[in-house]
Amino acid sequence: MDKIELKNLLFLARISAKENEYPEIIKKLENTFELIDEMQDLDLSDLEPLNNPLELSNVTRIDKDKNRNDKKKFLDNSPESDEDYFNVPKIIE
Amino acid sequence: MNFKQQRDNFRAKKISAVEAVEESLRKIKDDQLNIFINHFEQEALSNAMHIDNNFDDFIAKPLSGVPIAHKDIFCTEGLPTTCGSKMLENFIPPYDSTVVKNCLDAGSIMVAKTNMDEFAMGSSNETSYFGAVSNPWNHDLVPGGSSGGAAACVSANLTTISTGTDTGGSIRQPAALCGITGLKPTYGLVSRWGMIAFCSSMDQAGPFSRDAFGCAALLDAMASYDEKDSTSTKRQDINFEESLSKNFGSLKVGVIKNIQELDISEDVINAYETSKTVLTGLGHKLVEVDFSELSSGICSYYVIAPAECSSNLSRFDGVKYGYRSKGEKDIANLYMNTRSDGFGDEVKKRILIGTHVLSAGFYDAYYLQAQKVRRMIKLKFENFFKDVDLIFMPTTLDQAFEKNRKSDDPNRMYKEDLLTIPANLAGLPAISFPNGFKNNLPIAGQLIGKYFAEDLLLNTTNKIQEVTDWHKMTP
Repeated sequence: MDKIELKNLLFLARISAKENEYPEIIKKLENTFELIDEMQDLDLSDLEPLNNPLELSNVTRIDKDKNRNDKKKFLDNSPESDEDYFNVPKIIE
Repeated sequence: MNFKQQRDNFRAKKISAVEAVEESLRKIKDDQLNIFINHFEQEALSNAMHIDNNFDDFIAKPLSGVPIAHKDIFCTEGLPTTCGSKMLENFIPPYDSTVVKNCLDAGSIMVAKTNMDEFAMGSSNETSYFGAVSNPWNHDLVPGGSSGGAAACVSANLTTISTGTDTGGSIRQPAALCGITGLKPTYGLVSRWGMIAFCSSMDQAGPFSRDAFGCAALLDAMASYDEKDSTSTKRQDINFEESLSKNFGSLKVGVIKNIQELDISEDVINAYETSKTVLTGLGHKLVEVDFSELSSGICSYYVIAPAECSSNLSRFDGVKYGYRSKGEKDIANLYMNTRSDGFGDEVKKRILIGTHVLSAGFYDAYYLQAQKVRRMIKLKFENFFKDVDLIFMPTTLDQAFEKNRKSDDPNRMYKEDLLTIPANLAGLPAISFPNGFKNNLPIAGQLIGKYFAEDLLLNTTNKIQEVTDWHKMTP
């Protein structure tokens, strides 16, 4: 992994890092991929991928509204809010 | 005192719920091992008083009058839930998780929330923003992770039961390192609603106690069908506590062929061999199974878990709840700096790995291949279970290790989960219990069962514990 790839990856993950930290991050990631890459030797072309152990069908429930208004509770947890909204820095100039 | 004695004392009115809570809180306040992130004196005493005042309503409940500590990953209405992270240091959930609600309804009293690896990512409890937890058997050693606080809590006898979660071994490994019993249920048996997500296709909550009896009673309380969790399963209504006295007859138990070829310590192997004789002594038949290919599970896990974590943790953006970086002038920097300051190094690393394996160009080689390994492991277990009723193996490669020893070598830390991960990938239930001691430190074995075979796992462990004393040892 080079510095440009890491820069893209950091952006995709919305994580910031200083350029002088890049070599250490790359070293750590490559170290983990060394462990992961051990599975590349397995020929599993005849197997279907498994994304859930029980291969469940989705659970559905009756589409019924519930009389629940927790707006204040949710807004109170926000780092910044006013009466009805989450506050964020200006998005559109 | 174990769970059963504590509950019996409450039911016989030898001790009130308030007295049990006061005793537990007194010990929790004296804790020197950094086991807890928060404790809740006022709420616990008020809840205990309610139980005492309505004794007849609670006497038959599975956890009647017993103090409990919850891993700080379960949302608790009106009370802090940090998940071991700076990101959620001041988060006050607006609702209770289903696990917490079920335990409350079952007559337990929450006294504290336990320390854990940040967002459950770790095997030593050293990644917690709130500091490492010490192992009750030796304070220089780790208690295991990620549910290190929960295991240490029961081991140090601060409560007789606690809850944990197990994504890659996070109940069984700390149970092993702390010398107690811990069970990871079948994926889907216990609701994940209100349990902060790490890897949704593997996360599963389960019980800790000194013995199988306590785990059975706590699992009776925890397990329920929940329409709020789309992977919750409807099961036959099994009473796990009652199943402890059932007679399942002679079982075929799969044991590991060529165990010396795995990187397992001599002391763990010796304890394993001793346990095999205990199993045969109980009338079970041992059948060798070839575990070698299952070791590729670790590669699969370290792709799938980071992939799901990178998606799950994208919700932490500093807008709706949790930490927000100060003074940001635009939204992009708000996201980036909030996440960089709010998450610890291990969490950020796993987010980056997950983002990488899901990105265009790498998806097939990593994520898809990892899911195929997962399929292979599931099929392997299905084959094993054509011949055997249970599989028995050590829980960990070695005993508890020194703090900081493995954090410098992450792959060595990741390999710590070699023997626990396969059950998570396949979604199978597994129970860890102490099966030996060396140098005054516990060693453990685990039984893995077929889907929804928790009754058999608990029953077999209980039978082992009736003829052995390892689970009675205390630090």
